[in-house]
Amino acid sequence: MKAIWSLLSLLTLGLAQGVPADWPDPFKMQFQRLQPAAIQPTRVQLSNGLTVLLIEDRALPFVSGRVYLRAGAIYEPDDKVGLSGIFSSVLRTGGAGERTPDQVDETLETLAATVSVSTDNLFTSVAFNTLTENLDQVLQIWADVLVRPRFAQERLDLEKGRALEAIRRRNDQPTQIAVREFVRRINEGHPAGRISSAASIQSITRDDLLAFHQRFFKPNGAVLAITGDFNTQEMVARLERVLQGWQQGPVSLPTFAPPSPKPGIYFLQKEANQSVIYMGNPTVTAFAPGYSELDLASRVLGDGFNSRLFVEVRTRRGLAYATGGAQSQGFGWPGFFYGASISRVEKTAEVIELMLAQFRDLRERPVSQEELELFRNNILNAEVFRFTSKQAVAERIARTQMLGLPPDYYEQYIRQIQAITPADLQRVVQQYVRPEQFVIVVVGDKRQFDRPLQSLGKVVEVPLE
Amino acid sequence: MRRMVWLLLLVLLLPGAMAQQLREQIRKYTLDNGLRVLMVPDKTAPVIHFNLMFDVGGVDEAPGLGGIAHMVEHMAFKGTPSIGSLDWAKEKAALEAIDKARAELDRAIANRASQEEIQRLTARFNEAREEAKKLALPNAIDQLFTNNGEQGLNASTGYDRTDYRVSLPSNRLELYLRVYADVLMNAVFRSFYEEADVVLEERRQRSENDPNGALSEAFLRAAFQVHPYGRPLIGSREEIQGYRVDKALEFWKTHYHPNRAVLVLVGDVEPERDIQLVRRYMGAIPRGPERPSLNIPAEPPQTAERRVSIEYNAQPSLLIGFHKPTYPNREAYVMDMIDSILTEGRTSRLFRRLVIQEQAALNVSASSASPGFRYPNLFTISAQPRAPRTTQDLERLIYEELERLKNEPVSPQELQKVRNQTRAAYLRVLQGGPGLAQALAFYELFFGGYQRIFEEEAIYNTITAEEIQQAARKYFTPQNRTVATLITRGGSR
Repeated sequence: MKAIWSLLSLLTLGLAQGVPADWPDPFKMQFQRLQPAAIQPTRVQLSNGLTVLLIEDRALPFVSGRVYLRAGAIYEPDDKVGLSGIFSSVLRTGGAGERTPDQVDETLETLAATVSVSTDNLFTSVAFNTLTENLDQVLQIWADVLVRPRFAQERLDLEKGRALEAIRRRNDQPTQIAVREFVRRINEGHPAGRISSAASIQSITRDDLLAFHQRFFKPNGAVLAITGDFNTQEMVARLERVLQGWQQGPVSLPTFAPPSPKPGIYFLQKEANQSVIYMGNPTVTAFAPGYSELDLASRVLGDGFNSRLFVEVRTRRGLAYATGGAQSQGFGWPGFFYGASISRVEKTAEVIELMLAQFRDLRERPVSQEELELFRNNILNAEVFRFTSKQAVAERIARTQMLGLPPDYYEQYIRQIQAITPADLQRVVQQYVRPEQFVIVVVGDKRQFDRPLQSLGKVVEVPLE
Repeated sequence: MRRMVWLLLLVLLLPGAMAQQLREQIRKYTLDNGLRVLMVPDKTAPVIHFNLMFDVGGVDEAPGLGGIAHMVEHMAFKGTPSIGSLDWAKEKAALEAIDKARAELDRAIANRASQEEIQRLTARFNEAREEAKKLALPNAIDQLFTNNGEQGLNASTGYDRTDYRVSLPSNRLELYLRVYADVLMNAVFRSFYEEADVVLEERRQRSENDPNGALSEAFLRAAFQVHPYGRPLIGSREEIQGYRVDKALEFWKTHYHPNRAVLVLVGDVEPERDIQLVRRYMGAIPRGPERPSLNIPAEPPQTAERRVSIEYNAQPSLLIGFHKPTYPNREAYVMDMIDSILTEGRTSRLFRRLVIQEQAALNVSASSASPGFRYPNLFTISAQPRAPRTTQDLERLIYEELERLKNEPVSPQELQKVRNQTRAAYLRVLQGGPGLAQALAFYELFFGGYQRIFEEEAIYNTITAEEIQQAARKYFTPQNRTVATLITRGGSR
C-alpha cells in the first residue's frame, strides 16, 4: 500500500512538474568522480643544460613548443618599467639570425606558422606552432628569435611608439583603469606594483634590450615544452642542432620584500554611468599553507552563479552584470583575496557595503556544508579538464618546474581540498582576510554616487595618469 | 623560388587526411521531433563539450522588443519546476501574483494614476517579487553543473543564432540531457525583473561605458536603416525597461523548439550507445512550429556615403563598413580572402602600411561578415590612430590600399599565402574542443549541413586574383560606405 501510494505521488509530482515520471531528480543523480589518466612527458636535458619535456602526439600534423625563461617584468629597472613588454615585442618582430624583420614575418606567414613571445611578471616565453612538414624551417626561426635576435632599431622605435599610444588610451575604459590601479595598490612596495609611464617607455634603448637578453636568456634554468607530431629522439637531435651556440651562464635574480599595501579607498574620477569596484588584501603565496582554504573560500565568495557575491549583488538585486571574486595565485610573493563589481553609479556606496558584508560574513559565520561541498565537488570533478590538451599539460609541468613547486603539488592540493571543513575555512579566512585592511579601488563619477565615499572610510583621490 | 612553390604545395596536400578522418568519425542523427544531433568521438580526455544552437537571434525580434532574444537567453538559465523550485505549487502562484501586480502597476502608469497609487502598486509589485524569491533556489542549473565539474558554462546571442555551451566530465551526459530537455519543455522565467536589471547593467558595461561598444552601435544604426542588423543586439535602455514576462515567454514559445536546433557533442562519446540516452530525453520534447516568416525587410542598396560621429570620453577611433552579400554567394568567400589580404598577420597590407610603414595606427583589424551572416552584411575595417595622426589620415591610407586592390591583381604568392592561412585556421578549428562543437552546430544549422565545413576550403582555393579585383571594385565604393568616427570629447579627431 505504502509502495503504491509513493508511486502515485511520484507520478503526480512528475506530471505536475512537466517531465515524465521515470526521469531522475537531477539533484539526486550520482556519478563517479572520473580520474584523469596522467600524461607524463619524456624529460631530456640538452648538452647546453636546457630541460626539454616532450609528448608525442601523432594524431594531427602539428608541432607546438614553448620555452620558458626567467625574464619577467619584476626584473626591469625602476626607471625602465615596460621594458619586458617592449623586449618581447621586438624579440619577435626585430629580425633574427639571417633574416630581417620582414623576412621573418614573410616566411612564417607564408607557411601559416606562428612564432610568438609573451611575458608576465616572472617569465618570458617563446612559442611556435607549425604543420609538421614545415618543422625544420619554423624551428630554425624560433631558435633564431630565442638565441640570435637582431632587435632592429626601427622596430624598437615602432613598438615604443605603439606603447606610448597604448598609454594614451589606457584611461578609455573604466574597468581597465580599475584593474591597473588595484594591481598597483595591492602590490605597493613590490616591483609588481609599478606601472609604465611615457618617460619610462621613452628611455628604453636597443642596448637595454640586448642587456636584458644577455642577462636572462640562458638555457640552464629554462624549460621547453614541446608536443605533437614528431619522434622524440629525432626531435632532441633537431633541438641540439638549432640551439647550437646557445651557451650556459649564471643567472642571478634579485629578491624583493613582499608588497606592503596601504589600506584605504582609492578613488579615480571617470565620467560613466557605472562604477568599477575592486577590493581585497594580500594573503599567501600559491600552494603555501592556507592557500587551499582561501581558494575554496574565495569560490564560495565569488566563483560563478552560485557564489555569494553573484547571488546577492546580481541575482537577487540586479545590481551588476559582472561581479565575482577569487584568491589570486601569487608565486614568489603573496596573491590576494579579492572581489569586484561593475555597478550602476547611483548605487556605488550601497554595492561597496554589500560586498564588504559578504567578506565579513565569511569571517563571522562558518559556511554551510552544502556550499562547501558544491565548490569542493567542482574542483574535484573538473580535474579531468586539466588533461584535454597535451601541449597544456607539457606547459604546466614546465611552469611547475620553473616555479619550484613539487611535482605533485596538485595532488597535494586536491588532498587538502578533500579534507577541508567549514571550521578550517573560517579559521583561515579569519587569519588572512581583513576587510578593515582592504585596498578598495573605485572608478566612477562621484557627482552621481548615492553617498560620498568618505562615509565608508579614508579616501585617497588619485588623478588619472 | 622553386623551393618555395614546392613547399607551398605540400602545405596544401598533407593535412587532407586529417580532415577526411574527422569527417568519417562524425555521426549525425535526426530525432522524430526534428532535433539534429552530431557526435564527434575524441578520446583525448573523459570529457564532452556540448553546444546546443538555435536558429533564433536578434533579427527575429518584433519592433519595440529589441534585445528580447538575449533576455530570453538569460532566462533559460533560471530553471524549471523540478529544477530550482522549493515548492512549485506555491511558487507558481507567487509568480502569477508578480505578473498581476506588474500589470496593475503598468495600467496605473498608463492611466496617469496619482503618485501615491503608483507608489502603492510599486511596493506591492516588489513585495510579490520578494515572496517568490523565498520559494526558489537561485541559479539551480548552474548549481547542478558546478557540482559536477562544469567548464565554460555559458550562452551567447547573436543577430542570427543563440547557443548554449558547457563542458562536463563524460559520465555526466545523462545529467546534461535531463536538464536541457526539461528546460526546453518547462522553462520557468523566475526572477525576471531582477534579470532585466542585470541586462541593463550589461548594456551599460558593453555599449555605454565601452567606447568600442558605443561606436559600434552608432555605426550599425547608420549602416542599416531598415534591416534589423541596425538595431542594438542587446536592446535600447527603454526596450529593456519595458520587458514583461508574457512577451518574453511568447518569444521563447515561438522559437525554442527541437526542430530549430542542433545539439553537438564533441569528446568521449560512443555514438551508437549514447544516442539512446539522447533519444530518451531530448526525444521527449514535442516538435514545435517552424520558423515563422517574419518579413524581415531587406536593406535597400545604399546610394551615398553615410558618416556618423560620436563624441566620447576616450581616444579617437575609426570604423568603416561596406555592404556586401553573404554566404553561400561566392563573393562572400572572396571578401573573406580580402579580409586576410588586408589584415591577417604582420605582412597583411593594412597592418604593414598603417602600423609599420606609416606608423599612423596603433592597430587595424577587419571583419568580412559583420554583424551577422544570415542576411547581406558588411565588410568592416576598424583602426585606432597614433597621435598626432588622425582618423582622417587613416581613412586616406585605407582608401589608398583599397584602390590598389582594385587596380592591381594580387600576386600568386600573396594569394597562396592567404590560402595557406585560411587552411591553417581551418585545421586549428578541426582540432576539437568547444570551438569544433560550435563550428559544426553553425554549419549544420545555417550552411546546409555540417559537411560544408569540409568543402569550403575548395571554394577558397579556386578564388582568383581577378575575382578579388572585381569584388573590390564592386563593393569598395564611396556610395556603399558607412564611416563612424569616435571624436575625443573636447578634443580633436
